[in-house]
Amino acid sequence: MKNAVTGLGLPPEAALVTFPMDMFLPGSDLAPLRERKHEIYDGLTRWKPRYKQTAGANAMLRVEGADYEDALDKANDLLLTNLWGDGLPVRVPTRSRVDWILRGSPLPRTHVLGKLPSRGALVTVETCAIALAMAGGRPEYLPVLLAAVDAFLDPRSETEHLQPTSGGPIPVVIVNGPIARQIRLNSGFGCLGPDPRRPAGASIGRALRLLQQNVGGALPGNGTMATYGAMRYTNMIFAEDEEGLPEGWDSHAAERHGFSRGTNSISLLFVNGVANIKRCGARKETPEEDALQGMYRMADFMRTPNMSCLSGYENGAPGIMIITRVVARSMASLGWTKSSMREFLWEHSKIPRHLLSRAGGPAWIELESNPVTLASLNLDPWPITAAPENVVLVVAGGEHPTHSYWLQGYCPGVMGRQVAVPECFDELLASADRDLGCGADVCMI
Amino acid sequence: MVSLEFFDPSGTVEVTQRHAPRLSSLEGKRIALLSSEQWQSFRTLPLLKSLLEADFPGVDVLPVDAFPQGQTVIGSESTSSLIKSSGVDAVIIGNAA
Repeated sequence: MKNAVTGLGLPPEAALVTFPMDMFLPGSDLAPLRERKHEIYDGLTRWKPRYKQTAGANAMLRVEGADYEDALDKANDLLLTNLWGDGLPVRVPTRSRVDWILRGSPLPRTHVLGKLPSRGALVTVETCAIALAMAGGRPEYLPVLLAAVDAFLDPRSETEHLQPTSGGPIPVVIVNGPIARQIRLNSGFGCLGPDPRRPAGASIGRALRLLQQNVGGALPGNGTMATYGAMRYTNMIFAEDEEGLPEGWDSHAAERHGFSRGTNSISLLFVNGVANIKRCGARKETPEEDALQGMYRMADFMRTPNMSCLSGYENGAPGIMIITRVVARSMASLGWTKSSMREFLWEHSKIPRHLLSRAGGPAWIELESNPVTLASLNLDPWPITAAPENVVLVVAGGEHPTHSYWLQGYCPGVMGRQVAVPECFDELLASADRDLGCGADVCMI
Repeated sequence: MVSLEFFDPSGTVEVTQRHAPRLSSLEGKRIALLSSEQWQSFRTLPLLKSLLEADFPGVDVLPVDAFPQGQTVIGSESTSSLIKSSGVDAVIIGNAA
């Protein structure tokens, strides 16, 4: 609640009368409301705010220890006790570390990207660098983080709703362009991490999560009511396997955002779950049978009454289907394209009306104000999204044909951003080579 | 002793508007209810209406359906304009909206 009022630019306090969750459930006892009515009356008449203005530069903190290790421990403890950590050790965001990270941005450190919901604190380039420093990041990661944060703050992302919701949405950032390989971002085996040879995704995603929590106020149980909060240590940051795209297949960045091949870009959307799909056949299928059975199996995973995704019914995404380069090559050899795969998945993931009704789906749809979403009530079977183009289909995951991955959407919109790098970017990459060893694709110990 | 100085990572909050002034009393006031239609607001808001009407002489609490209802519409500019033009003294919004 305090996040909500500061997010509106109000002082960080409110006239609050809090009740146990039970009162807000179907068939509940409303006696607590009667018993505490005078507190509500006081809130409307007698309550007065007491606040002080808090805007200004990022403050500095100080700890002392018997030695450096002791000081590091105390700094970590201080960050955690102020609810600014995630439970894992952080790199302390000293001025020198933050200045080093800031080399990765062509923008001034005071440049304001926006206000991060729900708490609504200002996000500057420096604030992002502080989070990236804490997350163990490096300066060459900063351009991707800044682009992701800018997309996150786009009102069409509806993060003001997604940050506090109990549905537990997880930001996913898909990176296209040469920067992915340059900064050691994974597009292959285990691309959702962790990967010591390609550590960029973990740091960038953790930094985004720390911003969501520390700046946006998304603390479990009050700032975010995410019931389970899966994948929230690092969110999901990965690259599309552009080299694995079959001839004639466009990248996600080109298809969804119109960015040309070779453009450094990110695409940000939200999901609320993951499902591994054993896609390949079990015995003696022909290539055609293997492909078709796999497509039906993937569509079956998508066919769910995911009412969290209704806000993106017209223009968002019902989810992200990730297939490996091996599967993409195989499908392409049989004449499939990304477009025809999407069309098939959309058609065969429709939900028969009686099953949608049995699950209470129509009542949720009726709550929506979008006319396209409301009109879908007349469709039987009911498509899980308004159009096949909304299904995000990405190639990533390495040289293996067995599995696909379905990231179920919680996605009002899919936001694309080009990534701006500083003039010294090549120097930063050279430094990374010195610090981390040779590139991830050739470095074998 | 070794000292470490580092940034507070929580950013800064700008206060750009103040809370609405409180009413001197609820007696004789017109009060609007704005419902998200969620979290039992279809029960809690009417109950609040009846409690207010029992406790404060002359209070006029508009029915919950006097304005658009639903989470996606109560925050809209059009609803806000309707509320302002209605001339009510206060608005109670709920639940979890």
